[in-house]
Amino acid sequence: MMPEISFNIDHGYLEGLLRGFKSGILKQADYLNLIQCETLDDLKLHLQSTDYGNFLANEPSPLTVSVIDDKLREKLVIEVEHMRNHALEPLSTFLDYIKYSYMIDNVILLITGTLHGRPIHELLPKCHPLGTFDQLAAINLANTSIMLYNAVLVDTPLAPYIKDCISAEDLDEMNVEIIRNTLYKSYLEDFYNFCKKQGGATADVMCEALAFDADRRAFIITINSFGTELSKEDRMKLYPRCGNLYPTGLKMLGECDDYDQVKAVADYYPQYKELFENSGSNPGDKTLEDKFFEHEVKLMKKAFMQQFQFGVFYAYIRLKEQENRNILWIGECVAQRHRAKIDSYIPIF
Amino acid sequence: MSMDALLRSEEMTLCQMFLQSEAAYACVSELGEIGLVQFRDLNPDVNAFQRKFVNEIRRCEEMERKLRFLEKEINKDGIPMLNTGDNPEAPAPREMIDLEATYEKLENEMKEVNSNSEALKRNFLELTELKHILRKTQTFFEEAHHHQQALHDPSIAEERVGLLGEDPVSRSGQQKLGFVAGVILRERIPSFEVMLWRVCRGNVFLRQADIEAPLEDPITGDSVHKSVFIIFFQGEQLKSRIKKICEGYRATLYPCPETQAERREMAIGVMTRIEDLNTVLGQTQDHRHRVLVAAAKNIKVWSIKVRKIKAIYHTLNMFNLDVTQKCLIAECWCPVADLDRIQQALRSGTERSGSSVPSIINRMQTRMVPPTYNRCNKFTQGFQNIVDAYGVACYREVNPAPFTCITFPFLFAVMFGDMGHGLIMFLFALFLVLKEKQLQAKKIQNEIFSTFFGGRYIILLMGAFSVYTGLIYNDVFSKSLNLFGCQWVIPSSTYNLEALAADKIIVKPNGTFTGTSYPIGVDP
Repeated sequence: MMPEISFNIDHGYLEGLLRGFKSGILKQADYLNLIQCETLDDLKLHLQSTDYGNFLANEPSPLTVSVIDDKLREKLVIEVEHMRNHALEPLSTFLDYIKYSYMIDNVILLITGTLHGRPIHELLPKCHPLGTFDQLAAINLANTSIMLYNAVLVDTPLAPYIKDCISAEDLDEMNVEIIRNTLYKSYLEDFYNFCKKQGGATADVMCEALAFDADRRAFIITINSFGTELSKEDRMKLYPRCGNLYPTGLKMLGECDDYDQVKAVADYYPQYKELFENSGSNPGDKTLEDKFFEHEVKLMKKAFMQQFQFGVFYAYIRLKEQENRNILWIGECVAQRHRAKIDSYIPIF
Repeated sequence: MSMDALLRSEEMTLCQMFLQSEAAYACVSELGEIGLVQFRDLNPDVNAFQRKFVNEIRRCEEMERKLRFLEKEINKDGIPMLNTGDNPEAPAPREMIDLEATYEKLENEMKEVNSNSEALKRNFLELTELKHILRKTQTFFEEAHHHQQALHDPSIAEERVGLLGEDPVSRSGQQKLGFVAGVILRERIPSFEVMLWRVCRGNVFLRQADIEAPLEDPITGDSVHKSVFIIFFQGEQLKSRIKKICEGYRATLYPCPETQAERREMAIGVMTRIEDLNTVLGQTQDHRHRVLVAAAKNIKVWSIKVRKIKAIYHTLNMFNLDVTQKCLIAECWCPVADLDRIQQALRSGTERSGSSVPSIINRMQTRMVPPTYNRCNKFTQGFQNIVDAYGVACYREVNPAPFTCITFPFLFAVMFGDMGHGLIMFLFALFLVLKEKQLQAKKIQNEIFSTFFGGRYIILLMGAFSVYTGLIYNDVFSKSLNLFGCQWVIPSSTYNLEALAADKIIVKPNGTFTGTSYPIGVDP
């Protein structure tokens, strides 16, 4: 009862702004026009008539897909930063939580880059702007995860998440992935608890979304770990526990050895059974990742059905990311003139 | 005929034009100048990027981009752009190539000048930072010297004996501290210090001093505040770590000589180099200024020309290409009364393009409902806008606008009704109307002002009517005027002091009202 009355005092402007942004997300008709483009300039011409407007207007003539990628990202960053700057508690904490996932990605990007010997000034521009923080640039100093914690991350909001995976081993390829997954697991569980504490419609929407994210990660970790040196116990430690699969599904996943066993585990859960059913790696099938993306889009669209909750912000960012992936996919197909799979984008509205 | 035009919208007819391909551009340009036709889109289901003249439109957009870039540079330097207010005609297609070449050249020149001056500014920044470092590090080295002295002091060296068991005297030779000096943004210093302390486990010694004058960042041109810092450390490993941290925080490191004499020499060298750079920078700026001033003279005219070209090609995209006869077919709505002017425009367009075949226009019968066109002058335009805001009238329906010219200000005045304020409104609007031409030439962008300016005639009438109703209501700045005296007389016999002291007094009209009414207005 109470949230509906008092929500708009603090967050009404931002929710209204956000719903305006949401109505500018590309529709099916726009995608149909985009897949008919012959060159990237046609793409730019068509995007001019959408909410994107003249965002590519000042780019010099031969357009490349990476330029489009940068500009799309810049537009999203401007919108999110504007909302974050105008947000009050608890929305500001909520938006910060969303940013932490980008921070984790940036940290892992830099560590991997340093391991491959790339200089730091080459890697810094590749970081996502939503996930930058001052100490980011000093990542290249860290050789072990203890150093990573003590020197770099201890003052950042990511500090509590790395506590679970500190060890004195040197950072190498395998460990970096483990660190990424452990960081993300702690972050996800923390975010889930935060949303649950918020209660009301926010908890409804967000907990469902985060539970799906957790389960998706569990499946992907399991499938990717076949054929690597990751032991089953280590794998179990990487599963986030805030999803629908916890506790029995996760235990079963921990025992799996190949794809069919994973599918069998998924069969116990009706929503995931459907996703595994129609996917496969044959040409003409949708891949499992695509089905996951589709399911996510469906959940995010549902989030907009409720008002007076923060889930709409999370949903908008996710939908925008999906839209950017779609535009870049179509752009790549157009640029390389390989139009066979051009309509493998995920339609949103 | 003209009475009818005021009461209703104009009679429109659907026309078909056959334009020779070469003449089409010039004809559309002429028609655009007179502004009396509305073209119909004959290719509604064709995508925007599959239309015929899409390439030309792209070229126009490229040109617009270059012009925008030049305008931005001109504004950055604060050069005023000449705005004569004249209306250049759209140039012919072959001139478009010349224009493109000109803009390309200008853009390349500007980019070159910008990159040169960026490199020079970067150099200048480095030298300035070096100069500040050389100045500030003097105090640091003195302190470090004391620190070093303290290390030589046997009372402190005793602590090390216990830990390492070595001869303190022999160790003192190795107490030489290495150092790095550099400059960093002031905002980053706290985080930098913390990071240094954590990574080097407190084994380094940081001193910093602010640079008072703000420095100019070469890329963005903003002035930023920076600080000089110097880090003392021992050992090579710490040195590499410190260097990595500095790189991460984008602090620039400079080689700083250790002895006082070397520093002074370096400072002198730096000063002379700074002087030289200043002169070169000055010359580059002058050159850039000259280029921009030359461009600023024409840039407004160029913008208008490019916009016209783009509009012409957008219009041409709506035409149907009749490939067999090499001519374009266009359909448009135009007022019957202006057919002569349109034909004249077509003729002059055909002449201008040098085509032999004349363009043909013929009227078509149709069942489609024509668009509503109300011919307005600058006075009625304001009222027409207000009426259209509620809804545009149907074709040949009675147009309420002429009636609103009087009723709207009158009803406003009935509600407003103050002579004083009405007079102020009237005078303000009179000022706007008399200074019309100058104000229009200024092209003021302020939305609120342009609202008032657009409605100046409306406000004029509203003010005039308000004065009239203010007179009737007898209201000047919310006070009354006693123009005709009061027609109520209070006889002191009936209404003496005792009667007035009562709670309620009723003024009986019998004894008090003189019986005549006021010529105009309300009792004061």
